[in-house]
Formats: sequence, structure tokens, C-alpha cells
Amino acid sequence: MIGIIGAKAVRGVNSVGQFGRFAWQAFGACLWSSLRTGTYPLIWAQMNIIGVKSVPVIMITGAFVGMTLAVQAYGQLAGMGLEEHLGVLINISVVKELGPVLAAVMLAGRVGGALTAELGTMNVTEQIDAVKSMGTDPIRYLVAPRVLACLLLTPFLIIYADLLGIIGGAFVSIVQLGINGRAYWEFSASGVELWDVTVGVMKGFFFGAAIAVISCYKGFTCKEGAQGVGQACTEAFVASFITILALDFALVVIFKAIYDTFWPFKSLVA
Amino acid sequence: MAESEDKKQEQGGQSDGVLEIKNVTKRFGPHVVLDDVSLTIEKGKTTVVIGPSGCGKTVLIKHLIVLLRPNAGEVYFKKQRIDHLSESELSKIRTHYGFLFQGGALFDSLSVAENIMFPIRQHYKITNWSEAEEVVKTKLAMVGLDGFQNYYPANLSGGQRKRVALARAVALNPEVILYDEPTTGLDPIRSDVINELVLKLQRELGVTTVVVTHDMTSAYKIADRIIMLHNGKIVADGDAEHIRDHPHPVVQQFINGQVGEDDLAVLRMSGTISQAQFLPRDFE
Ligand SMILES: Nc1ncnc2c1ncn2[C@@H]1O[C@H](COP(=O)(O)OP(=O)(O)OP(=O)(O)O)[C@@H](O)[C@H]1O
Ligand SMILES: [Mg+2]
Repeated sequence: MIGIIGAKAVRGVNSVGQFGRFAWQAFGACLWSSLRTGTYPLIWAQMNIIGVKSVPVIMITGAFVGMTLAVQAYGQLAGMGLEEHLGVLINISVVKELGPVLAAVMLAGRVGGALTAELGTMNVTEQIDAVKSMGTDPIRYLVAPRVLACLLLTPFLIIYADLLGIIGGAFVSIVQLGINGRAYWEFSASGVELWDVTVGVMKGFFFGAAIAVISCYKGFTCKEGAQGVGQACTEAFVASFITILALDFALVVIFKAIYDTFWPFKSLVA
Repeated sequence: MAESEDKKQEQGGQSDGVLEIKNVTKRFGPHVVLDDVSLTIEKGKTTVVIGPSGCGKTVLIKHLIVLLRPNAGEVYFKKQRIDHLSESELSKIRTHYGFLFQGGALFDSLSVAENIMFPIRQHYKITNWSEAEEVVKTKLAMVGLDGFQNYYPANLSGGQRKRVALARAVALNPEVILYDEPTTGLDPIRSDVINELVLKLQRELGVTTVVVTHDMTSAYKIADRIIMLHNGKIVADGDAEHIRDHPHPVVQQFINGQVGEDDLAVLRMSGTISQAQFLPRDFE
């Protein structure tokens, strides 16, 4: 019994170590590729696949989040006669939390799944070994462009999600629920700081990198066969999802500390 | 008697070994695939590895390029130990190799031409594209596939894929080429063309060659030295003559393609089992 638990623990620590090494190598490979113009076409190709094709789903996700929030929050605020503050509530939620996190979860499903399946299939058909056999480091050739593309594009996709969330929320609030448009935007503007938007978008770098590294790792370590690839995709999604939530928590704590330290000086600078 | 002769040949090669494995043991779980195998591959020679299906030929040849790492033992390339190098250090060493995978391992998202260009683009800056296209054309013509540049691997037959993979493996004009079953799945004429190609590369460019094969015609034709692997050990090692007259019954059975007594016994047994013990599906 203890033996089994011990063996499991050892395996757990082992795979964490393996992942750590992989992530470290991926990080090194990303630095290497970003200094070499020869790799830019690869990154560009991945950006097309990862980013451009995700825009519609991300926009739909954002719009529905904004619209749903408007309907939900209206009931609460109207009861207190505060319905004109609806804008602050919706826009803060969208820009700080819901936009980034839901966009990242959407990407973990759409992009992460595709990355794991692609690299997993390459792994079981020996294509990754083939890359190695020709003297190319597969982490540089396969992983780095994908991680860089994901890392660079997720913030932009979050901006799309935010934008559509804001539009969706405003549409429902102003057109459907009949809130005064001027008041809605004025309260929003006073409640949402540039900092909030920045933090939300900055999260995108971390989420994007995490999704890509986890998905590529799962692809690289995928077991043989069709079932192996399927299982790797599922594991990649679950791991990405949990990592996004945990990272989000960590980032909120860190950014809050930064805000509390530096933001008061903003008035001095401006 | 044969044992000592095998040993002698092995040691004779030590002086000029490009590739060397020493006391390599490889296990997958409890399953020992290579059991304390030592082997020196001589420069500019063609070494053919034969042995029954599943005996570990692919595992052995992958150790020579460290796509698999041994559980015990050492692998050397030009006297440099390589089995414990990191992947990035190995990358540099592997540019001296060409490796033909048993399954081809073509990149299915790239066209035939792009597959062959891949190793070239990875290691050279291409300035003259028409020249590059010319290189692809000649490599493809070598394997009889000129004109298939824009095909994708999914649209090729098994044998065609194998030949594209072969063209890719030799694209960088490597010093060492490892072929895992280059003629399996090809018709006899095409097989012979491949044999000639292997010989040509070895003779004209002095390529050190290792070929894994089941095809004894091909083995006799191209081999300077034949090694037979059985149960994780090298059971025979010598030139074609030596193998043909080898006293070991396993070797004789293999090269003559004879079924063994125990396999026959199993077949005889299975003939006597009646299918009647299974009830037909529509019984109820
Ligand atoms: N990745 C692996 N995991 C577990 N076992 C493996 C693995 N690769 C190979 N083996 C085992 O090693 C043994 C030898 O395999 P190998 O592929 O080297 O055979 P082979 O001699 O090339 O056969 P064939 O002529 O059919 O290609 C097989 O019994 C196989 O079960
Ligand atoms: Mg094999």
C-alpha cells in the first residue's frame, strides 16, 4: 500500500521534473528563435493557424459574456435604483476577469487541443524522431514557433473578447434595458482604469505561453495509438484549464501588489 | 569454432570504427531487447543486420543515432561517446547521419519536395531556389519519383513513401547512412534499384552504411559484412560467405527461409482444434 503510494509519488515528482525541463528548454528555444529572423516565417504560419482562425469564437464568447452579465446584474442593481452603474460592473468584470479567463479557456480548447493532437500524431508516427534524426532540435523547430505564436496572440485575442464583451453589455443595457447611454458610458469611464485593462491583457501573455507549453508537452509525451493521442488531448485541456485558473489567481495577487506599490505615484508622473 | 571466428572479426574492426556500441543493454519494462551487445561499424563499409521480426533490429539501429538511449553500455561516434549527450549536442552530431525510418516518417503536412528540402533548409541558407529545386529533382529521380514533387505523403503508395523517405535521408550527402528495411514493400526491380543506389553511395562517396533487412538477396548483394541478431544477441557476424556456411541452425533457418520445428508443431496443433467449440451467433 505504502509502496504503491510511494511509487505514485515518485512518478508524480518525476513527471513534474520532466515538464519543468521541457518548459525550460522551450523557454530557451523561444529566446533563440526570437533572435533569428529565419524562424519568423514559422512563427507567422502558426500565428495564422492559431490566432486568425480563433477570432470568431473569441468574439462570440466575449459578446455573450457581456450580454449575460448585463441581464444578470440589471436585476440586482435596479432593485437598489443603481441601474446606471451597470456599466462599471459589466466592464470591470469583463476587462479584468471574464474576458481574459474565458478567452484563455476557449483557446485551451481550440488551440491547445489542436496542438496536442498535431504533435501527438507526429510523435506516434515518428515524425518528431525524424526531425531529430536530421540534426534539428524539435523543440526549436516545433515547439518554439507555437509557443511564441500563442504568447503573442493571446493578448490580442483578449482585446477582441473585451471589446465584444463591452459592446454586448452596452447593447443589452442601452438598447434592451433602456438605460441612459450617456450615463452608462460616463460611469463606465470613471470606474474602469487603464490599469485594469492592462492587467487583463497582460495576463494573456502568461495564459498563452502556459497553454502552448502544456499542450506541446502533452503532444511530445503522448502514448502510442489513436487512443493515446485522444487521451493526451484530454489531459492537455484539463491541465491547461487548471493552470489558467491558478495562474489567474497568482497574477491577480502579484498585480495587486504592484498596483498598491506604484500606482499612487501615477499622479506625480502625470 | 564459429564463436571464436565471430569474435575475431569483431575485434579486427575496432581500429577503424566510425560507429561503435559497447555492451549495450536495452530493456522495455521487463522485456530485454538488446542483451549486452557490442558492435563496431567500419568506415566506408556496408554492414547488414538481419534477424527475425521483432528481434530488435530497429531498436539496435536507433541506438546508433541515439534516438533510443541504452539502459547500460555506451555508444560512440568517431571515438566520441554520444549516448549521454543532450539533445542539442546530439543535433550537431546527427547532421553527419542519414536515417531511413522503417515507416518512412515523412512529414505529412509537407509536400514531397518540401520533405526533401527540409534537412537542406535546416542546415543551409538557400539563396538560389532554382538550384535547390534541381537538387530535389535529382534526389527524386534517384528513387524513380521525379514528377511527384507536389504530392503529399497521404497520396502516395507505401513503397513510394519509402522511396521519398530514402531520398530525404540522403539529401545532405551524409557520411553515415542507416537504412531500416529500405526494400521492404517494393517490387523486385525497384528493390534492386535501391540496392544499386546503396552501393553507389557507398562506392562513390565512401559512405559508411548500415542496412537492416529481411531480404537475403539484397543482403548478399550489398553487404561487406552481415550480422544476425537473435534473442537480443549477435549470433553470427561475418561476410556473406561466412553467413552462408554458418553452422548455427537459427542462422541456416533464417537465410533459407525455413520454418522451425516448434512453429510447425504449433501449426499442426491449431489444425486439430475444432471450430465447433464456439457456438454460432444465431444459436439462440
Ligand atoms: N517503444 C517500445 N516500447 C516497448 N517495447 C518496444 C518498443 N520498441 C520496440 N519494442 C520491443 O522491442 C522488440 C524489438 O522491436 P524492433 O522494432 O526492434 O523489431 P525489429 O527487429 O525491427 O522487427 P521488424 O523486422 O518486424 O521491424 C519488440 O519485441 C518490441 O515489442
Ligand atoms: Mg524493425
